[in-house]
Amino acid sequence: MGIKRGVSLYSYQQAQFFKQLDWKGQIKEVHDNLKTDGIEIIDEATIHRYPFPTEEFIADWNNYMAQYEMKAVTMDVYLDALQFRDHVMNYHEAAERLKRDLRIAASMGFENVRCLSGVPIQVIELALPTAEKIGVRIGKEIHAPMPIKPRSKPKKNAMGFEISSKGVEEVMELRDRTGSPFVGLVPDFGIFLHEPSDVTVDYFRRNVPNPDAVDFIREFGGEYDLDELIRLLNEKYPGHSMDGGSIEQLSLHESCADPEDIREIVPYIVSIHGKFYHMTEIPGRPGEYEDKAIYYERPIEILKEEGFDGYIDSEYEGQRHQQDRGEEYLPDEVEEVRRHHEMLERLINK
Amino acid sequence: MFDSYLIRKDSLENVTENGKVVGFRFAVRIADYRGCMLSLHNGYYIEVDGEVYPREVQKFEINGKAPRDFQEIKKAVWEHWDFDDEGYVYVEKEGGLAPGVHHVGIQQSILVAYGYLPMLPKWVEEPPVPGTGAGAGKSSFICYYDLELQS
Repeated sequence: MGIKRGVSLYSYQQAQFFKQLDWKGQIKEVHDNLKTDGIEIIDEATIHRYPFPTEEFIADWNNYMAQYEMKAVTMDVYLDALQFRDHVMNYHEAAERLKRDLRIAASMGFENVRCLSGVPIQVIELALPTAEKIGVRIGKEIHAPMPIKPRSKPKKNAMGFEISSKGVEEVMELRDRTGSPFVGLVPDFGIFLHEPSDVTVDYFRRNVPNPDAVDFIREFGGEYDLDELIRLLNEKYPGHSMDGGSIEQLSLHESCADPEDIREIVPYIVSIHGKFYHMTEIPGRPGEYEDKAIYYERPIEILKEEGFDGYIDSEYEGQRHQQDRGEEYLPDEVEEVRRHHEMLERLINK
Repeated sequence: MFDSYLIRKDSLENVTENGKVVGFRFAVRIADYRGCMLSLHNGYYIEVDGEVYPREVQKFEINGKAPRDFQEIKKAVWEHWDFDDEGYVYVEKEGGLAPGVHHVGIQQSILVAYGYLPMLPKWVEEPPVPGTGAGAGKSSFICYYDLELQS
């Protein structure tokens, strides 16, 4: 019972890219050094020959997980609606992909599948009977900039998505209406990011023609909405070379969810993404770490108060903003995740 | 992502067919944390020493198959480019590249979509031209490398 620690192997993407740690090495790190059992994967990163894994791969996976007595918590799946290129997938086709992913997840012993926050509720509902039949829960991600609760002022993100809590409400409604425990939510701690991480800001300062443009976004991001900010930026720094998504990330001045918002969705949570970017030592507390840009303490207190029983899986994402530099500057993912688990363990047991 | 590591540094070489140099090639990895359905791969912005080589003169080699142009790649709707695997980009250029170091800029286009993005119907009719940042996935900048032609 209670909050358990796990790791999304997403955290070790760079070590996998450079062939320093394969999925077996990653799982062994979680077992040997983090002393815990929860494993989450990205289907298209870990599964060889996805979406048609061989029986040999599945057997190897299940055996290795058994050897170390690990728990397959959540498999993250996607919705690339342009797969067929000559048309945008309709909802029935999207549901077929989701059902295929659910069956792969079941064959690998996963308890949950995480679908994206952009997956329409109709697609989830079409796949729900399969989820129930094979006993794998579908959790819809609550990913930044999606809030948990309605906002006073409607907003669109840089990709043209409407930013609203509708996706959260629809999942709760589906669960309440069907009574099915096989649909729920996967909140990502990125919703508690209250400013861009220092690694993100530094990356853009290094890669744009004029770093002042980045400082301009940081200074005025809290004052203007995104469209207006982009207009001002284009005017003042023509050729700044940042796309809308980048400007959106850099302009962040408040978290898209309040820590308190998580309280009422706790019964709907299937698992949690412990997103983080950069763990630094807390001043005056040697050996204790924090991510200065993300609220962790209060959300974990609330999860405990509400009796959340499930996994927080570390999801380290700071590496991508340091890969424009030489090898000597690449961050150590293994060390970052160890620090994250120092923090998780301390906050859970507080 | 992987901005400095998308091209393998020692992979740039000329390509010979029937005794004639017909172009050059280099090895690439995917600029993402996951693989993709191969059909989503929409080509590259490629610039060598200031000259741009459009998608029409590019081919992509992956999964042990002969190099395919991006009209063929588009049809590979159930084939996957795995995250761990390296592919080769082929560029047609009569006579190939001269010996020495070349300044190479690339941007990889993969039409990943985290759900039903508003521009998808447009991308069916008219996929983005690589290089603008649209459809560039996780590396929206053009990444530059100084690569020595291997012999």
